[in-house]
Amino acid sequence: MARYGMALDYKNCINCKACEVACKEENGVQLGADKHRIWVGVKDVEGLWPNISIASSTFEPSQCQQCENAPCQEVCPTQATHYAKGGIVMVDADKCILCSYCMEACPYDARYVKEDTMTVDKCTFCSDTRLLRGETTTACQATCPTKVRTFGDLDDPNSEISQLLSHRQHFTLKTHLGTKPKLFYMI
Amino acid sequence: MKVEISRRKFLQGSVALSIIGGTSFSATKLLSEDEHDIGDMRIMTRTTNIKAEKVPFLCGMCVNKCAGFARVEKGVVVKLDPNPYFPKSRNMLCPRGNAGIQTLYDPDRLKYPMVRVGERGDGKFKRVTWDEAYHAILHGTDKFKGILQILDEEKDNRSTIGYCNGEGLSKEGFEELMGQKIGTPNYVDEISICLESVLGAYSATIGAYGEADMSNADFVIIAGANRAEAIITPDTMDMFKRSQGRGLKTIVLDPRFTNTAAKADRWYAVNPGTDLAFVLALTYVVFDENLYNKEFAKKYVVGYEDYKNHVLKNGYTPEWAEKITNIPAKEIYKTAREFMASEHPIYYQGRRSVFSKNDFQLRRAMGIFQGLSGNLDKKGGIVYGKKLTLPKEDMNAPMYGQAQDRFDKDGIAIFAGKTGSWIVFRNMVLEGKNPYPLRAMFMRKHNPLSGVPNTKKTKEFLKKMDLNVMIDILPSDTTMFCDVVLPEASYLERTSPVASYGGLEPAIVQRKASIKPLYECKTPEVIYKELAEQLTKPLWENTLKYDEDVQDDTKGMKTQELAKYYKENGFDLTEPWEKSVEEENKERIVKAFGEEAWKILDEKGVYYPNMKKYHKQLNPNEYQYYPEDKKNYTVKGDKIKVVANFKNLAKKGVDPMPTWKKEYEFSVPEGQFRLVTGRHAQFTQSGTTNNMALRDLIPTNYIWINKRVAEKRGINFGDKVEVKSSIGKIHIKAYPTEKIGPNQIFMLHGFGGSSQDMEMAYGNGGNDATIIEDKIEPVYGAAVMHETNVEVRKV
Repeated sequence: MARYGMALDYKNCINCKACEVACKEENGVQLGADKHRIWVGVKDVEGLWPNISIASSTFEPSQCQQCENAPCQEVCPTQATHYAKGGIVMVDADKCILCSYCMEACPYDARYVKEDTMTVDKCTFCSDTRLLRGETTTACQATCPTKVRTFGDLDDPNSEISQLLSHRQHFTLKTHLGTKPKLFYMI
Repeated sequence: MKVEISRRKFLQGSVALSIIGGTSFSATKLLSEDEHDIGDMRIMTRTTNIKAEKVPFLCGMCVNKCAGFARVEKGVVVKLDPNPYFPKSRNMLCPRGNAGIQTLYDPDRLKYPMVRVGERGDGKFKRVTWDEAYHAILHGTDKFKGILQILDEEKDNRSTIGYCNGEGLSKEGFEELMGQKIGTPNYVDEISICLESVLGAYSATIGAYGEADMSNADFVIIAGANRAEAIITPDTMDMFKRSQGRGLKTIVLDPRFTNTAAKADRWYAVNPGTDLAFVLALTYVVFDENLYNKEFAKKYVVGYEDYKNHVLKNGYTPEWAEKITNIPAKEIYKTAREFMASEHPIYYQGRRSVFSKNDFQLRRAMGIFQGLSGNLDKKGGIVYGKKLTLPKEDMNAPMYGQAQDRFDKDGIAIFAGKTGSWIVFRNMVLEGKNPYPLRAMFMRKHNPLSGVPNTKKTKEFLKKMDLNVMIDILPSDTTMFCDVVLPEASYLERTSPVASYGGLEPAIVQRKASIKPLYECKTPEVIYKELAEQLTKPLWENTLKYDEDVQDDTKGMKTQELAKYYKENGFDLTEPWEKSVEEENKERIVKAFGEEAWKILDEKGVYYPNMKKYHKQLNPNEYQYYPEDKKNYTVKGDKIKVVANFKNLAKKGVDPMPTWKKEYEFSVPEGQFRLVTGRHAQFTQSGTTNNMALRDLIPTNYIWINKRVAEKRGINFGDKVEVKSSIGKIHIKAYPTEKIGPNQIFMLHGFGGSSQDMEMAYGNGGNDATIIEDKIEPVYGAAVMHETNVEVRKV
């Protein structure tokens, strides 16, 4: 049984958002700036011109952290949010009643309302599109100009992601919450 | 196109809509003649696991030409994926590349030929058949004259017909039709509003523009180029994998803090237009402290002693440059020393519009500075690479006795001949300085109302013409000033002529049509062919009537002999399009590389010798295209030449060595601002401002204004301001930020469309061409984009 995760060489990110568009086209995410499964977090720069702090300007590519202890799953009253094959957190649109508890519970703000089905939607690691066809990369990984992402099976010691994480230092977001995210940011 | 529900309204979130979801929508419905059937303005795609075709394409969303595979499910393009075989784009597509589907299925596309029935500029057209459109081009209507009448009145002076074209794979065919076959020299294109002086100066200095080997460089100065936001492959991809303490030290010069600056080790907020003083000061340090590669300079740098004397004698010290550039002297010393101490330093050539009058000299100075490091023609340096040769098709161009030379030479030192100068060409016509009339413009994939500084003058110029013809995919601002409009197939609907891309890892690429042309659109080559078929006989008759050379030649000929003469001397305009693009591609590739090569190219979209052997996947993200020892790092050897003192330039009135002049200094009257412009990875000029997916990323263009200055003027984020120059004004929203200096403002180029038929682009943001003064640099006559001062006030 696979346990899917993603390693991010986040320093490569130039905030071009190719990943965001690729995700939308691949997965039928609605157009509209407020509808997205993935995004790039940008901070306002510090300092006054011409002394801007370069270190203050970071780009943080992000999406659902595919937590092993997912708060969204815990609060879902209808079991719409569940752990699917490979440990991927999924939303069953047929069961979702749009109570939006999960959106409140998610510490990463990774969920939005899909207006055609009026249900909550989020990153699926392309499991119902690309992975279903036997492809081994997600849309965001494949298209990236600077190759930020590596998707793969954390339980397979020979997978690229396991190899990367075994020799590269990395951190997870909001680790203290105990959510056990499966997105790893490499230093 | 008329729609029930405005796409604008949808964006405001006020309308609930049904969704057209991927393969659940039917292609026939989308293409229906009854526009209301579409129902919703959004084309959403979602891939499924049904059997799909994967068609290799070359992206047409910008000029870079990345390779991809289009996923086609039931005749609908549902996803564009990167192509892992092309060494130049290395398995990636940028946001625009991904959003190509939205351009293909843009509801505002030009769908059928149209003929103007209203006045120029008011957008009133009548739908016609292709035959009727060609007939109107030839004979005109009650609203405008046709080409035949014009050439009759002008006694077959072909030069009275002008034409222009934007960058792309079908550009050559249009040049063949208009320039060589119809026979006019009066051609302008994107070069003179883009990177003309960059290409020219690098060729004059190091022999070529070259390629920066960013995979192996260890120090790069990137000045006035913005690779994080203006993506060029493979540079962008290679640079940012190694920046920020990972092997490639990066120094950025830019008036504003860009995404490239955010990835740099150091950013210098250089005053606009003063980079040349910075490079001269670097050079001063290097000569003064003897830091340059003496052996290389002695052998390969022509006139380096002259240049050394010139730089030292003129006192181009860092202290001198500090006052001009706004970069502290100690930083200039540090940068010069670090550059020369590095093993593989690159002063990045940049690839962008001409910003200031001194651009040619700036590029020369950069090229020479690179030469002084000796880091040329080798791994980690600026390299020359190789190109795979494709067989050329013979072209039988006729000679027209009545045609005259082009005239746009006013104020230009080195006349570039083929592509001319947009500004000089247009302005000379407006000022009546052309020695013979210019009466028609044939335009393709080009939007000068947005691209050429001074929109008002471009409008006047177009209004002066007797006939304007446009071939394009969207109803651009310029289209509104045309008489006949021909709808072209977009890049995903056409097979394009094969192209060869040179460099470290050269390859040949082919764009294949993913789907058939939508609506009544036709591929460019079919349009050229049909236009040629319609024009060839009537124009030949006109030549017989007026061309004395031809009359002499054909005196007393019988019909059959005359027909032979017409064919043999190239007057048959249709001859270049006897074969289809598909046939011609196959023929050329098989001839040069054999049947097997064609099979590979046709299937994978890419071919280079030994591809099967060389191409390997290294990990999920990376591929090897050529093995290390087969990359073309060194190709020139002892033939390399860097020209520091270019004596012949003096004969043309151009400084033979880069020299600073007082007039280059940055100055802005109190209370005013210098306008700087640029582009972004998320859209390409005016061509993509109607794209729904990209609009999510950049909804409009803002004016960047220094936060403290904005505060003093009571300008907050989103406030509407008027930006006014000596030639015009625009309204645009404000973005106060510390990322720009107090007497400068910045805006993205390409917004502020005036064509009401492009719903998303219309009136969205400001068009910089309306306010950028039409000034040229003196060497080639290229437009300078950053020499305009403006006033800003809240409205």
